[in-house]
Amino acid sequence: MRWSPLARKEARTVAKSKGVWLLATLLVLWSYRPSYVGWDGLGANITAGYVQLAGTGLLPLGVLLLSYQSVVGERTSGSVKFIVGLPLTRTEILLGKIVGRTAGIAGPVSVSFLVLAGIGLVNHGLFDPLLFLGVVLVTLAYIGVLVSVAVSISAVAKRTVTAAGAVFGVVFLPFLVFWSRISTVIYSQVTGRPVNPFDPPASGPLFVLHRLSPSGAYNVVSNWVLGVGNSASTYSSVLSELKPTISTNALVVEATFQPGTVPIYLHESVGLLILLAWLVVPFGLARVVFSRRDLV
Amino acid sequence: MTEAVIETDGLTKQYGSTVAVDDLDLTVTDDEIYGFLGPNGAGKSTTIGLLMDYVRPTAGTVRVLGADPQADVVEIHDRLGILPDRYSLYDGHTARQHLALVSNTKRASDSPEQLLDRVGLGDVIDQDIATYSQGMEQRLALAMALVGDPDLLILDEPFTGLDPHGVRTVREIVHEENERGAAVFFSSHVLGQVELVCDRVGILHRGQIVAEGTVDDLRTSADVDADASVEEIFVSITDEAVTADDRAVEGER
Repeated sequence: MRWSPLARKEARTVAKSKGVWLLATLLVLWSYRPSYVGWDGLGANITAGYVQLAGTGLLPLGVLLLSYQSVVGERTSGSVKFIVGLPLTRTEILLGKIVGRTAGIAGPVSVSFLVLAGIGLVNHGLFDPLLFLGVVLVTLAYIGVLVSVAVSISAVAKRTVTAAGAVFGVVFLPFLVFWSRISTVIYSQVTGRPVNPFDPPASGPLFVLHRLSPSGAYNVVSNWVLGVGNSASTYSSVLSELKPTISTNALVVEATFQPGTVPIYLHESVGLLILLAWLVVPFGLARVVFSRRDLV
Repeated sequence: MTEAVIETDGLTKQYGSTVAVDDLDLTVTDDEIYGFLGPNGAGKSTTIGLLMDYVRPTAGTVRVLGADPQADVVEIHDRLGILPDRYSLYDGHTARQHLALVSNTKRASDSPEQLLDRVGLGDVIDQDIATYSQGMEQRLALAMALVGDPDLLILDEPFTGLDPHGVRTVREIVHEENERGAAVFFSSHVLGQVELVCDRVGILHRGQIVAEGTVDDLRTSADVDADASVEEIFVSITDEAVTADDRAVEGER
């Protein structure tokens, strides 16, 4: 592909930055969280659960921070004149940016997964390598989705601060931190029915709303791989919720719906479609704006 | 038989109420070295931005190498080398990596060592460009423009930041490239160099060409002595344009 040299350059830029290695180091500390409920539910495969925890909170923040400047920063500095001067369409430039940044982040982050695997192996014993690999692949795909969102914002923003504000205020806080609360409020406002998350109604729309965010969809898909239950919460909350004596604020399909009454759109595979939509839709919109605009 | 490598017709670029390029008709042929001169803010870089599809015209048409800069960007940029103005290179990357980005994208097979040798940057090929001086960056950027033996070289203020050796190198390269068969379009306000380099010059003033021709043509048409320097010609022509503009404004009152 014509844009692969650009992608290689992008990957090198990120992989050589201090930020990505700081992220990789912090991810190990952030994700290694042994728990009784986790051990009880997953056994040695709790190590794969750590990878999922890596994908919640810290990793999205890091990925967004490592990507929001990717286009607008080059416009500000003037280096964009070189890449726009290459025989590439504007769409190819964005593709090269997204693919390259994703690879540049995925490399160091994979190293932290290897370290987690080593720690898990020593402390918890042999885990199912395919299951572990499955969660790793879902997490790497999730990185690609987040890079795509951040690069898209970067392609549309006119100034670096605008891009920073947008990834934080429009993506990170509402969709990656507060989404479960926001989605509950939206549901209550629209239906007029208050929701007690500790005893949620068996409502398809409420549950689907919860998993429309990138983090919700990521959890659904990674929980599916882990085999803990159908939910947009982290695996440990799901395992707790599914214990008969414990109630948490996690919305878990198996804990709320009677068998056979689960709407088809709550199937875990729909989580993949939601992630795909986050990968494609912001990019598609950004592509149109970026292709039409003046770049200097 | 010469062909136009750059052809603009009524080309206009407005930013809000400011007209940066105003109804510009410009033709550059495939065998010439064309010097694009003008005072600061005359619209030189904006014109180059329009040729390069960095920015889009408000009105009028542009053809570069016979094609449309926007629709045929891949085809055009494949055959064109650009040294932009007010650029920045990629810190943390070496000269070799910068050249590789261009030559791999263009699928050219130039040797990076030879390219750097031509611009006088031999022994720093594997150094991080963060350690480069401004003149070294300018030489590297010029080398990037030469990748793939382009049919058209666009150089925006190529003498920026160069010492006299560097200035001479640019001049020699421009001639070499022209002899190889490339057309060269360069903007500058380093006027002493222009006469030594250009076949033809155009003087841009407030977004319009106010004079065009060989330096000798301009010397004849401008109100200057027979041995006037390019600088004197330039000042005379642009001053005259200013006065003419002012008279036009007076007339409107």
